[in-house]
Amino acid sequence: MNTVDELQGLSAELATSLRPHALAVDAGEVPEIPALDIIRDIATPPDFRTSDLPKCAQLYTETCLARTAANIELSRGDAGVLNICRAPSLAGLAVDALGSAEQQEAFYRVLADERPWTFFGMTEPSVGSDATAMQTRLDKDFRLHGGKRYVANAERGGIGVVFARTGPTPLSIRAVIVRNPSPGYSGRALTMFGLRGAALGEMTFDGIEIPRTCLLGAHLPASRRGLWGAARTFNIMRLQIGAQALGVALAIADYVHQLRPQWKPLMATRLEAARELLLDCAHDVDNNPDDRRAPSIGKLHATHLAVETARWAEAALTPGGLLEHPLLEKWCRDVHAFEFMDGTSNIQRLTIGTGHDDN
Amino acid sequence: MRHTIAECERAGHEHGLSVGLAMALAGAETAQAPGRVAAWPTSGIPSGATVVREERGVSFVRTEAGPADPEIAARLAAVRLGLTRRLAERVVEHLSARKVGGEPTIGKQLVQGALADAHVATEAARRTLTVAGDCPEAVADVHHCLTTVDWELAKLLGASGFVSVDSSGTGAMFEVHLSRLTAHCWIGAA
Repeated sequence: MNTVDELQGLSAELATSLRPHALAVDAGEVPEIPALDIIRDIATPPDFRTSDLPKCAQLYTETCLARTAANIELSRGDAGVLNICRAPSLAGLAVDALGSAEQQEAFYRVLADERPWTFFGMTEPSVGSDATAMQTRLDKDFRLHGGKRYVANAERGGIGVVFARTGPTPLSIRAVIVRNPSPGYSGRALTMFGLRGAALGEMTFDGIEIPRTCLLGAHLPASRRGLWGAARTFNIMRLQIGAQALGVALAIADYVHQLRPQWKPLMATRLEAARELLLDCAHDVDNNPDDRRAPSIGKLHATHLAVETARWAEAALTPGGLLEHPLLEKWCRDVHAFEFMDGTSNIQRLTIGTGHDDN
Repeated sequence: MRHTIAECERAGHEHGLSVGLAMALAGAETAQAPGRVAAWPTSGIPSGATVVREERGVSFVRTEAGPADPEIAARLAAVRLGLTRRLAERVVEHLSARKVGGEPTIGKQLVQGALADAHVATEAARRTLTVAGDCPEAVADVHHCLTTVDWELAKLLGASGFVSVDSSGTGAMFEVHLSRLTAHCWIGAA
């Protein structure tokens, strides 16, 4: 057994501790679950971990392959519960990519000392996926104005990364570390249709004073200080989202096969094939971090298949059966969330289609 | 039946699921549901019924499983057809007000293609319902088709369709899912 297999096994073991809390989290509760502390440490770069972990855990932050493999199994427990984990998540990846050594140290010190949720403010209500059109701005006096929406942990998060415009061009979009509470910061949770553990919300910035030390990327070339510097972060996160979608789909299939062992076994094979695809895409990202097509292929397929799996499950039940299986009904809502995270299907299609020109 | 189908579609389109469901179930009893849960308008729940869940004017009540009634399923499909058309209008309104890269989102080819596919599917579904007659499989197929179309349309709303910002901005997925759950109670087993 190699270390990725070991990490996958460890993740499957941790996932069993998540499942019992799935419906409570869907109902809005935020239970304390010891397994989430372990997952949080696994998702933290080794230099900033607060506990001893098996050697295989080291891989999680080192390779996209390990991160993807682990997320499939963790989400097979329950992706909603996984999303209440106080992990560095996308904010951590952005700080890893854009932050200096001092900024990384400061960011992870806060995570270790305060155990906050993190947020990643990119999307704005009026421009959606068109990040280059964002309106949030960082003034010359380092005050942040504007707002973001559909941001995980917008209300409860304690620290995160927010992208803002410092000038008119895409290169002038920069990232800053923001703390909550801060004078001028307000966050509000939104009512989610599914995957409620992610706690999407909106945040407004009314002249928040940003310390100059919190501007990320100053030590990098101009072309890699902002949006483009974070591109690799999105590649990794897209596969993580695809992995979570597949994990939920596997949970659905497990559940259905327990109810109806003979029900259309083709789906199980399709899901295992999707795992192979995601892992191959993750391997491609590890070999070429700037490859945008592989993560889009993986995410597009996994999110589509997850929704299809939910319909397959519905057909396996007696009429009205979804109302008699609340966990299954919840997962049939959850699978739709991944469509809107880190690029919709149409965004992935455009990335994949445009990439044909490179071949 | 053609007239009834048209009336149910109009009710769904103009008044929403709860009113449309009441029309689709006119004269029916919960025991006609093919499973152990019947979707019923909250305003007309039979006295003494055990409510499993209530959402936006639709209640899910316990019942004894009966034989599937293809006429109820067809009328409900027509109601859902009206809801799907309503969703398409909402999507067009939403995307007409947005731009990507300085251009109207509604004009993007991927968007136009998805809207065209949804339009064709709903036109075909309506004709299927008028000729489905005694073919419950055809009616069930219309329901599955509408579930697919609803999702393809909801995707075009982006994350705004997945959340409720306030009481005036309910995400489309809440209604889409309720429509699907309701249908599941009235379609016979696969």
